Amino acid sequence: MNNRVRELRAGRGWSQAELADRLSVSRQTVNAIETGKYDPSLPLAFALARLFDLAIEAIFTPDP
Amino acid sequence: MSTLRTAPHLRDCFLAALGYVATTWVCIGLLRHALVDAPTVLRAAIALLPVVPIVLATRAVVRLVRAGDELQRRIDLEALVIAGVVVGLACLTASLLEAADVIELSARQALIWIFPAQWIAYVLARAWTRRRYA
Repeated sequence: MNNRVRELRAGRGWSQAELADRLSVSRQTVNAIETGKYDPSLPLAFALARLFDLAIEAIFTPDP
Repeated sequence: MSTLRTAPHLRDCFLAALGYVATTWVCIGLLRHALVDAPTVLRAAIALLPVVPIVLATRAVVRLVRAGDELQRRIDLEALVIAGVVVGLACLTASLLEAADVIELSARQALIWIFPAQWIAYVLARAWTRRRYA
């Protein structure tokens, strides 16, 4: 699964730790999502979408 | 969620492990020297003292896992599975070699090491699994 989390986070000038705090997850989790090593659960994906005010499919796209 | 939420539980795990080593060392010393002729009830009570820090360690690990987020729980689950399989395979291998008289294994020594081996394997597997997601 590809995602735009790093791009969206950088666009808001947040550090990984800041985003992690806003999502109530660890910084490692944010990093793992950004590097594609971990696909978040549906509730966490919804939390990301809510935070960036976007639809989930605007953040996450399936591998081609 | 920052590491601050899990840090106290990690500290508790470490302290409980230290407590286990200390109580085991003291209890074995007492049972082999000072309490050789003590009543069975007292010897049993002293022998079971190391169970207390192990129970505390177990509680700390449960709290550590519950304080973690979804990725940390996945890491813990993978680490527990790896630790269970590794220790189980080690026990099976050792018992098969013992049955074939290739090695000599004292049941007393083997039993006392299974639980600590499980924890050591879990800690190592957790560190290895965490690196996969770093």
